[in-house]
Amino acid sequence: MTWARAISRLFRSFHFRKIQVLISMSSITITLLAVVLVSMLLFNRFSKAAEDNAYLNLGQIIEQVNANLELYVSGMQDIFNVAQEQINAASDIPDDRQLGEQLGTILNTRKDLVSIALFTKGGNLVRGVPVLPMRQNTKLTEQLWFESAIQNPGTLQFTPPHIQNLFKSDYRWVVSMSKNITYRDDSRVKQGVLVMDINFRTIDELSQRVGLGKKGYVYIIDSVGNIVYHPQQQLIYAGLKYENLEPVLNYAYGSYLDESDGEQRLITIQTVKPAGWKIVGVAYADEFLTTKKELSGFLYGFLLAAVFVVLIINLYVSAKISQPIRRLERSVQMVEKGDFGTHVYVSGAYEVEQLSKRFNLMLRRIRELMDQIIQEQEAKRKSELDVLQSQINPHFLYNTLNSVTRMAELGRNEEVVTTITSLSRFFRISLSKGNHIIPLEDELEHVRHYLIIQTIRFKNKFRYEIHAEAETMDCLTLKLILQPLVENAIHHGIEKSAEEGFIGVYAGISGEHLEIVIKDNGVGMTPESVNKLVSGKLRSEGGSGSGSGVGVNNVQERILLYYGKAYGLYFESEPEEGTTVTIKLPVVKPEIPRKEGDQ
Amino acid sequence: MMRLVFMLGKGWLLLLLLLPLTASCAPSGNLQKGEKMTVIDMIVKMDRGDYWKTIKMGAEVAAKEYNVKLNFLAPGNENNYKEQIQLMEESIARRPNAIILAASDYEALGQVTDRSSYYDIPVISMDSEVASTKVKTYVGTNNYEAGQKAAERLIELTGKQGDIGIVNFVKGARNADQREEGFLDYVARFSGITVVDIQYCGSDEELAYRLTRNMLKEHPGLDGLVSLSAESSIGAGRAVEEMDYGDKLMMIAFDNPPEMLELLQEETVQAMMVQNPFNNGYMAVAAAVKAAHGEKLEDKIPTGTKLIDLDNMLWPENQKLLFPFVK
Repeated sequence: MTWARAISRLFRSFHFRKIQVLISMSSITITLLAVVLVSMLLFNRFSKAAEDNAYLNLGQIIEQVNANLELYVSGMQDIFNVAQEQINAASDIPDDRQLGEQLGTILNTRKDLVSIALFTKGGNLVRGVPVLPMRQNTKLTEQLWFESAIQNPGTLQFTPPHIQNLFKSDYRWVVSMSKNITYRDDSRVKQGVLVMDINFRTIDELSQRVGLGKKGYVYIIDSVGNIVYHPQQQLIYAGLKYENLEPVLNYAYGSYLDESDGEQRLITIQTVKPAGWKIVGVAYADEFLTTKKELSGFLYGFLLAAVFVVLIINLYVSAKISQPIRRLERSVQMVEKGDFGTHVYVSGAYEVEQLSKRFNLMLRRIRELMDQIIQEQEAKRKSELDVLQSQINPHFLYNTLNSVTRMAELGRNEEVVTTITSLSRFFRISLSKGNHIIPLEDELEHVRHYLIIQTIRFKNKFRYEIHAEAETMDCLTLKLILQPLVENAIHHGIEKSAEEGFIGVYAGISGEHLEIVIKDNGVGMTPESVNKLVSGKLRSEGGSGSGSGVGVNNVQERILLYYGKAYGLYFESEPEEGTTVTIKLPVVKPEIPRKEGDQ
Repeated sequence: MMRLVFMLGKGWLLLLLLLPLTASCAPSGNLQKGEKMTVIDMIVKMDRGDYWKTIKMGAEVAAKEYNVKLNFLAPGNENNYKEQIQLMEESIARRPNAIILAASDYEALGQVTDRSSYYDIPVISMDSEVASTKVKTYVGTNNYEAGQKAAERLIELTGKQGDIGIVNFVKGARNADQREEGFLDYVARFSGITVVDIQYCGSDEELAYRLTRNMLKEHPGLDGLVSLSAESSIGAGRAVEEMDYGDKLMMIAFDNPPEMLELLQEETVQAMMVQNPFNNGYMAVAAAVKAAHGEKLEDKIPTGTKLIDLDNMLWPENQKLLFPFVK
């Protein structure tokens, strides 16, 4: 389940249009193509060269062996000729003492000369060195060296190596050189066969020494295909090994690839001229053509390494390019969500740095503009507030002054004094040195003087009560919020009621709020008229001009403007029962206690 | 997190790209590494004598061909089976890939051969068998058949009437016993032929010589003599020659020491049963390599024998068999 989710997420995150992917894919493709192309070219070129080189090497090795053998064989040939000349020179072969010494000297010059002997055509020994008794049952006339000498008169014959069984001495592997010659026996010219046996050891060792890799070897055959030397001669005779001689016999020299036994073998052939032997070098392709495999191995490695390096560089470069862009994107996302405080600094490519700088500049500009808007709004609100507060209707003043005139005419001086005093207090608090915010104490004082004036005007048609908890007294409040509500209670509640009216103003702290409650026992209101009142329509209807001019909706607006939506007026009204208005305000205490401020 | 996933995605992509490459890379990689050398211990009966040297030569040719590290080990004497057991134990402790054993004693080496199978070391028996079922194969002469062939030739030479003496080498060695058994089984078909004496020389030429002299003294009318090993042949041949019995009795020898070839040429010995030690050594190593790689082998790999006489001794294919070394 988690796997499936991881995979699907992987797919979702894998956008082909991502910069990183685009860069990586394209450069990997290009690198791969280039490397593969170069590798293929190199491989073909090098492997061809390596193959040629291998053949050349093999050819040179075999050539070297051939040169050594030729030198050796032609040396022996020379010795044979010397021996033949001496025999020719001697007049009486069987008994010539001088000849014996001469042949003995020849024999001693070369360690690998085993014997020199002259036989009659019937196979009887005429003369031989070293002087040793003959063995029985030698069957020498049936032996190859004798037969071929008789068959090919006048030419020197070489036999493949064989066991020399003529004389009573060790059995030795020898190569025989033989020739049908004439000699003089007791001054008569006779035909005979001169044979010189060379120890095969030198040739054997020479051939054994040749190394053609670990498994490769050299073998020698004579002109008709008899094995002269083969490291596995016995296996061939026993039929356990097979050497494909047919093509070898067709070549005098050269090389070819043999696949007759399933394995690739490089065959190189050279001919030892005096003896007519063929040296055949057998090298195994898997040892000699290793360069090809090494090369391909290397190229594969190179390819892998190149792809790996390119990938790393790609990831780095594309990350370098795309990461800052992604970071920038994230920052923009933050801004989008409304966090204008974000500061973006993205290092990286020059373009991205510039972009982030510009973005920051833009952000700063936006912040400035927003601050400006806030300030403008503030100013606008303040001016609105000012406008609203300045809406105190001069009708109140006119009505009050009218009442005072009437009282003065009637001689009710005491009431005149009270009214004028309250009026002057009322106005002083109304002005409050232009402050919008005043302590609740002053606001209550303000409404009290208003009530005093009104009770006098309405000839004690209602009673009133003002009560505030002690700790609310120094709370700060908007000014002129109580008077419009009290005015409303008088005009819409008490004035229409026949009974004696009552208005109560109470201030207290409830929870975290300052609550001021204005209560009346007037006619009350229907919910519709409450709504109208709040929306400000009632005043315009009943705009008799007798009020202070500051509407209930004005109070509501001011509270909302100043304190926010959490505060305001709450009406509870029952027809014929009365209305209760609760003003909810935050508890704000002055920063510096007033008394200290006074001092 | 995103970045990690991204890297994963990349790795996956890379893998896809490289898949065909790695696939084609694998075989060439194997070839380049080269095969590991196979270690094979070859424990024979003796490190002297042309016979064992030729085995060694054959084994070395095979070792080169099959990339084998060959340890050639032998006790001081052919009938010293205790030393051979010791060699086997040391070899098992070294844990070679395979062991080739030419057991001096059929019974005595059975136990140690069984033990090698606990350590999963395959044992190839060469030249003479050993009493163990754990042996993977036997490479060598079919000794029973060789004994029979020798008897056949000897009876051709002596005729169907006559007394025959046998000079054998080590009683208890499997090849000696089998040759003798083959010989006796064949001879038993002819009622006119009597085997008057069997002697064991323990692969000692001198002892063979003395035993043969005694035999000839005791049985002066002996018509035929067979010696069943190289050493017994050399001793017996010398005795026959010295006592001038060359013309009187027919002799078949075993193996091909140069002395015997001289006697063959002088017609003191009429024929020689020649084994193929080079092929023994070669085939044993080849079989051991196969066994080490867990391949199944035939129960027996016979390497063939040849009866050499005056007529065929100089045939090219026999010369290399008779004279394996170029001196």
